[in-house]
Amino acid sequence: MSMPSDGTGATVEPALGTLPETAAAPAAAPGERPPLRPPLPRPVLIARVVIGVALSVVALYAPFYFTPENNRIISQALYLSIAAMGLNLLTGFTGQVSIGHGAFFGVGAFTTAILMVDHGWTFEATIPVAAVLSGLVGMLVGFPALRVRGLQLALVTLALAVLFPRLASKYVEGAGGVALLRPRRSEFASLIDGLDDDQWAYFVCLVIAVVLFVLAWNLVRGRMGRAMVAVRDQEIAATTVGVNLAGTKVGTFALSAAYAGVAGSLSVMIDRIADATNPILYLQRSIEFLVAMVIGGAATILGPAVGAFLLVWLRRNTEDLIEGKEILAPAIFGAALIAIVYVLPEGVVGGVRRLLARLGRRSSGSAARPGPASASDVPDDSNNPGGSHDEGT
Amino acid sequence: MMRGPRPRWLAALLALALVGAACSSRDDDDDGAQTETGGEAAGGASIDTENCASDPTQEIEGDVIRLASSYPQSGLTAAFSEIARGWEAYFEKVNAEGGVDIGDRTFTFEFVDMDDQYNPSETAQNVEEMVGQDGEGAFAAFSVVGTANNIAIRDFLGDLCVPDVFAATGSPAWGNPDYPWLIGSTLAPYTLEGQMFAQLLEDQMPDAKVAMLVQDDDFGRAYEEGFAQAIEGTDIEVVATERYPTGASEVSAQITSLAASGADAFFNGGTLLACPDALTKAAAANWQPITWVSGTCISKTLMGLAGAAANDVYSASNLKDPLNPDWDSDPAMQEYLDTIQQYRPDDFDPENAIVGYGYTQAAVFVEALEAAEAPTRLALMESLHNLDGISDVGLLLPGVSITTSEDDPYMGESLMLAQYEFTGEGQRNHFVPQGDLVDFEGQTQDLTPEDLITG
Amino acid sequence: MQLFVEQVINGIGNGLVYGSVALALVIIFRTTGILNFAQGEMALFSTYITWKLASESDGFGLPIVAAIGVSMAIAFVAGAVIERVLIRPVEQARSPLNVVIVTLGLFLGLNSVAQLIFGTDPQLMPSPFPEGNVELFSSGGDAVVVSKDTIGLIAVLVAECILLWLLLQRTNLGLKLRAVASNPDSARLQGIRAGTMLMLGWGMAAAIGALAGSLVASQRTGFDGSLMQIIIVYAFAAAALGGFDSLIGAVVAGLIVGIADALTVQYVDALEGIEVIVPLGLILVVLVILPNGLFGRRTVERV
Repeated sequence: MSMPSDGTGATVEPALGTLPETAAAPAAAPGERPPLRPPLPRPVLIARVVIGVALSVVALYAPFYFTPENNRIISQALYLSIAAMGLNLLTGFTGQVSIGHGAFFGVGAFTTAILMVDHGWTFEATIPVAAVLSGLVGMLVGFPALRVRGLQLALVTLALAVLFPRLASKYVEGAGGVALLRPRRSEFASLIDGLDDDQWAYFVCLVIAVVLFVLAWNLVRGRMGRAMVAVRDQEIAATTVGVNLAGTKVGTFALSAAYAGVAGSLSVMIDRIADATNPILYLQRSIEFLVAMVIGGAATILGPAVGAFLLVWLRRNTEDLIEGKEILAPAIFGAALIAIVYVLPEGVVGGVRRLLARLGRRSSGSAARPGPASASDVPDDSNNPGGSHDEGT
Repeated sequence: MMRGPRPRWLAALLALALVGAACSSRDDDDDGAQTETGGEAAGGASIDTENCASDPTQEIEGDVIRLASSYPQSGLTAAFSEIARGWEAYFEKVNAEGGVDIGDRTFTFEFVDMDDQYNPSETAQNVEEMVGQDGEGAFAAFSVVGTANNIAIRDFLGDLCVPDVFAATGSPAWGNPDYPWLIGSTLAPYTLEGQMFAQLLEDQMPDAKVAMLVQDDDFGRAYEEGFAQAIEGTDIEVVATERYPTGASEVSAQITSLAASGADAFFNGGTLLACPDALTKAAAANWQPITWVSGTCISKTLMGLAGAAANDVYSASNLKDPLNPDWDSDPAMQEYLDTIQQYRPDDFDPENAIVGYGYTQAAVFVEALEAAEAPTRLALMESLHNLDGISDVGLLLPGVSITTSEDDPYMGESLMLAQYEFTGEGQRNHFVPQGDLVDFEGQTQDLTPEDLITG
Repeated sequence: MQLFVEQVINGIGNGLVYGSVALALVIIFRTTGILNFAQGEMALFSTYITWKLASESDGFGLPIVAAIGVSMAIAFVAGAVIERVLIRPVEQARSPLNVVIVTLGLFLGLNSVAQLIFGTDPQLMPSPFPEGNVELFSSGGDAVVVSKDTIGLIAVLVAECILLWLLLQRTNLGLKLRAVASNPDSARLQGIRAGTMLMLGWGMAAAIGALAGSLVASQRTGFDGSLMQIIIVYAFAAAALGGFDSLIGAVVAGLIVGIADALTVQYVDALEGIEVIVPLGLILVVLVILPNGLFGRRTVERV
């Protein structure tokens, strides 16, 4: 993380992806709300709709095509994307770097596991509790985050991720005396006849992911979103225009922690385990979320989802790439990460966006056409995780 | 492979959106799935087969016994992968010699393994993948490493009635009667180590004041509670206990604290790097108690790191130590070394005791298979629960006899006390057996606090 | 009382370890503005190189001091190359998080490659310091012993701090390094070769890391691939506590962390197994009160 510019007057470029392009907005008639950006050229619009519809179809059909094993992997990518989205809200949009979201994930996972194993709750009922609890913990962390900034904050959150498994293993006792909880498979049975258990699990993850992504999208488009970005880009200036710094920071912490907590809760359904025996597991999780966010595209809506799927895919395919040298798998994975960040510094979504913009420029030719001003008028297929378009109006 | 003809553009879209998924379609796996629940077991065994999700009385089709194992092959605990070298070599030798006979059929071994980096959640995923949701993927799970790792799979395998055999830790939990499909290995249960130390102290220092160093988890608890039970009614007392964070590699503060307690006996329950570190720090503090080291610490590497500080420490084992020159001309030792050389000659060091441990597990397993009434999972478990004095196989010490019963599923109940002799750097320093074999046959259940077994 | 002193000394021993790794972290930060997550693993790799050079049974059998020297030189070059090849292209895209990802990739890669090349067995690292103890008399009458290793470590660390401080504050080169860290563009306008300075910074930090790792390994009864994984967390904590600005701050903070940990082991039974919570909690508390760390200077942010 580079040091803040020391006020030589150079313009500070937003480091982490940009808010909607505010270039050349067409002038508005008096009394009319000006469109925030020029309407997209037709071909790009069509491309977006087609891709959106196609993805929705695929998302709905996939669980019936794939084996349970593959459904499980996709579901893993889905909950990973929820956690990455949560982190994105905090780090991508609000600029508070956290390497500790694994701890919130763990809080969610253990809340669900404990309620199920020790108190016999139904899984679905535990999800909101997990969200609330992890949100609360996030809020608690958010307060000191008001004072501790930048690098120091990142390290404090790292400490959280390191601390969590130790605490959990001390106070959680599972079967056999080991600090892990495994609810039985039957507890996650499908609630809809005709859907197999793994398909049901997939749909639960999918629906929750879509809902949370749409929620995030709305948030980011509104006042809160602008406040978040203002805090990220120019904190002091933001306070002078009335942004509630404390509220934004703490609120975002809480919300992003809640997202991670939901992801943790879902992970108990997919992996059927809440594990405190590994001291670095939740740190690894934190890093996964960060990686997914960055390679997908920070400060975008689709980015975390793309990044999560990419991450899962990468992991699966670097595991036994070289026969007999399994020990190298992390190295190959690390190399792949570096390569991606090289080639796509704005993440996949950022790269694609640039590509589309270039295509759009080439095909749009003359001046901006009149028409529906906002890109949000593109029909939104709400079954599509993250919506068919990315952030902002 | 798709279910039927599909238009190309849909195929392209699927290819676009999917996450590198395997090519098998859902329906492929439905073929041949066994979903009958098991009926009454042959021979009236006490293993309940009514709720089995797959049929444990079904004979193996074909002539291959497929074993699945999950253990750390990368990451910091990769050293445990050497256990597998031992049993893989043994199975390959058996294959080369014609295979194993069960009843009137002959089988060869095939094994698959996956890396779990010692993570129980990965172990669970690996085993579910290898064994399959219908149990068709493997005959049994073999030598899965780690207590938490085996706990993570025991429900799944138990529901399927698939054996999980030779679980590679000394946890007393492998005797839990609720999980008859899970059985441990010849590794002595941790609580018996406590017994051995207690007996040693009663002989040599009946009013000993003991300091204990244990890991802060179930492994440490097994030592702590097991030893506490062992000294009940004696004049031995535990005056200090330090639990160190799991995975720590240095314990100087803990040793300082223990050394200051005035104890004259020390139970070093540390494992991996914490174990030799405890020994060197104790020596550096000029603290010279009569010391016991965990059975998990008996390896050339770990003891070698402690060097002179390890001199005179006690432990116990039931296997012949390849480092001990007394076994150099022992035929069983020769056979072991030859087998490893022939089938696993890569840079694995056969002098490393855990390779010998893996080798011995395979040997006992083959004996159990040969004694089984039929080539079925149920028969295998019945055989394993009725081992009748298997001895002199693998690297078992002479006199060690593996016996199990319905009430006593623990295999490793005979132990030989041994004391480490350090003669110099680079020498063949090894544990020297002391006295006679101590036999705890049938007693593990009584000597172990119940919550450690059924917890 | 004596026990207290002994534990403090244990704490100092570990604290010096954390402080020396924290020093490398701070150097990279002060010269390039980056938090290097791979610092621990770079140090680990260099430690293995030191071992290979010094080992009599498996390596080249060099005297340990020479081995450390050679390893530091190799690390210097490697660090500079890493900066040029891996970090700079990514940093030029002006995204700090991308740099984090690269260092994470490095972290994974180095650990894995080290295990591949050097094996997974734990190894012994010889100590560059003479064996034995030095006695200090405490008020209780019983001598408290400090190992010569610990004294040696203190001496090395103090020397490092002094040398680095002199370099950064009193030489031209140091001025250039700091200028580039503070504002690379202005520095370039002044004719400073920013790229070279960045490489130098990473090289220095890598060399310091190599020294730290080798010394740490020599203090332990054997080391393996896990050597740095727990240490790096404490080192990060120490660097954060000290404020990333100050060299001596990093070392002092490391000592505080180490001592807090050891005293918790001794006196707070309720936290057995989770003693780490004390130094980490301490850091949180301190940072809330003094957001720039114990020794950090307040940065003035202008809008």
